[in-house]
Amino acid sequence: MIAAVKRWHAVLCALPFFIPSGAHAADDVNGAAHDLARQTAVFAGPGQPVSVEYRNVSSLGPAELGQARGAFEAALKEAGLRVSDVAPVAELRLTLSENQSQYLLVEEARKGDERQVWMAAWKRAEPAAAALPGMALDRKLVWEQEEQILDVAFPAAGMLVLSPSKVALYTPRENGSWALGRAVPVSPGKPWPRDVRGRLRVTGASFQAFLPGVECGGAAEPSLSIECRAGDQPWVLESGSHAALLANFAATRNYFDGRVATGNGLRKTMAPFYSAVSAAEQGRPLWLLAMLDGRTQIFDAWLETVGAIASWGSDIAGTEASCGGGSQVLATRPGDAGEPDAIQAFAIVNHAATPLTAPVEFAGPVTALWPLSATSALAVVRDPLTGRYAAYVITVVCGS
Amino acid sequence: MRLMSSPWFAVRNLALAALAATAAAATRPHYGGTLHVQIRQSFETPDPPTAGYGMPDLARAFAITLWEAGRRAVYAADENAAGGRPFLDTVEIEMARPLRDQSVDLELAKTDVVELGPSELRRQPAGRKVWASAPVRLVALVFAPRVEDARIREALALAVDRAAIHNVLLQRQGEVSAALLPQWLSGYAFLFPAAADAARARTLVAGLPAAVRAISLGVEDAAARPIAERIALNARDAGLAVSVVPQAAGADARLVEVRISSLDPALALAGMAVSLGLPEPPRAASPEALYAAERALLEGFHVIPLFHLPDAYGVNPRVKGRPGITPLGEWRFENLWVEGGRP
Repeated sequence: MIAAVKRWHAVLCALPFFIPSGAHAADDVNGAAHDLARQTAVFAGPGQPVSVEYRNVSSLGPAELGQARGAFEAALKEAGLRVSDVAPVAELRLTLSENQSQYLLVEEARKGDERQVWMAAWKRAEPAAAALPGMALDRKLVWEQEEQILDVAFPAAGMLVLSPSKVALYTPRENGSWALGRAVPVSPGKPWPRDVRGRLRVTGASFQAFLPGVECGGAAEPSLSIECRAGDQPWVLESGSHAALLANFAATRNYFDGRVATGNGLRKTMAPFYSAVSAAEQGRPLWLLAMLDGRTQIFDAWLETVGAIASWGSDIAGTEASCGGGSQVLATRPGDAGEPDAIQAFAIVNHAATPLTAPVEFAGPVTALWPLSATSALAVVRDPLTGRYAAYVITVVCGS
Repeated sequence: MRLMSSPWFAVRNLALAALAATAAAATRPHYGGTLHVQIRQSFETPDPPTAGYGMPDLARAFAITLWEAGRRAVYAADENAAGGRPFLDTVEIEMARPLRDQSVDLELAKTDVVELGPSELRRQPAGRKVWASAPVRLVALVFAPRVEDARIREALALAVDRAAIHNVLLQRQGEVSAALLPQWLSGYAFLFPAAADAARARTLVAGLPAAVRAISLGVEDAAARPIAERIALNARDAGLAVSVVPQAAGADARLVEVRISSLDPALALAGMAVSLGLPEPPRAASPEALYAAERALLEGFHVIPLFHLPDAYGVNPRVKGRPGITPLGEWRFENLWVEGGRP
């Protein structure tokens, strides 16, 4: 509830009102303060003393109110007014407020029986990206967009971004940013399942795009092209730099249906799972599958269960950086939608997860985590405030 | 009228996230299962409601499969829903369930989602998952045209002790307000004075003939009657004789609740004006212009805004996913999933 200020409210009720019709859209609090000060100067008259009362009904803190106060008083001075509580010609009240999209400076000005209300607004800033906290996991933002990002890959021609509606090829600019080269649509025969997932696999200039119930093949050069058809071709799930597992994706769901084949020809039907990693424990190969029940099951080379990890989220990816035993598992954190998320690197020791790095924290959920190279993975994070998606390259950094 | 809840600001950001697309979280959603929902309202119509908020919102991704008017409704997932098939298989809604019984059922894990009134909200155990919308429901007094003397209307506006009602009857849920648009939407609601001024109300009433000091106040929702009775008490202190009647039709004034229907402040004001029988305001392009339009609507005290209240729901811990309601209180159950649901 906003506290009422009786004296002002009495004035509000009693005085005739004048509200100017012009809109005041400023760039920031300084611009807003200048806009209001200019009008105040006209209202009060040049060189006149004015008193100012401040209050804050926004979610901004005292520092921002102090900034607004400083900017307003400097602007008043610049406009030729004096701030003084002694015999002021006009009494001003400045309120720092906000609505869904803007911050507002609301000025109520009173001079004798005359009263005015002015408002100056500026756009609310997007929340700043969280600082990089990791010591051994490095993250680099590579792309942001409104539409969900399913996967990002880096062929020689640039950067491929897979979204539910298209594949786009971006080429690097000299300043390090990306320019859209070409985008080609991907049209499923029927709506994608909720929580749609997708995977890019690049081989030279050509690539495969795996989507639920749809298989696509394309090329990034000489110009982006893609052909898709309905199909149940297994997805190739890599771990680190090598192909690890062929797994069939359930066409109307968000998980693999459990049918898998390993590189040595072993075929088996497991329980459905979300993601898979090939890891090693003291040289012995292991498979880790993030199951639908929230546990990550550990299997031996023959896909027999040897253990379980209960503390990870649904998405895991394998890397093979030279440190940390030469085999790391990057795992998301268990949690509900909309919650902050994190990615942390683990080693498998005695069939249990041992943290290798501090977690890299994100403000929103990690919606995709795929291996990218021997030492890196691609993570997509949804911003819980804006709904935008950001793709990060997460790299295991040794020796830092 | 349903009276509700809560420090909405804390959940606003989560609720906003419900507007985004449907990618999963760190723990991916499970497909399958039934979401059990209880509501106080009883729809006695031969067909399910298609307009308004709540059940009609389900039509985005579910199809009705069972309709027992006034009792029960079952919706099944639409395999071809825009944005993909919902994670849930079905949503079962039990209607006409008193708020107190709803909370008991939630406590006993007999249901998944229940409505929370101020009393129920206060009694929720620590850690209970609660979805709260922004304060989107305006509680206001609306005068009939036959109450012609503006002094009566202004006197009642000044007599109502909103703060006391907010503290006691509403258990501090929502916000006291004298504006049509809530502060979170307009940013200037604080400019409308909401404090009671009994002395000034008495002064206004003193100038009125005794015959016009009696007002009937219609309240159709029994849950809102305590508020109406408290208003009548306040009015008596100011010298007005307010009698609370159960029928709104024919009353001198009505205690009503209207919802904000848009996140665009100008559209929201226009919608609210229509709902309250006020003239349509001019389209405003700036906060100042919107303020001027709202001030013009409230001139003459034909409508007296009192409170802005949020919707609040208690949620079983097995329900996962982003908040099932938007900041406007719309149901978005297609993004929910339940633990234990079979894939």
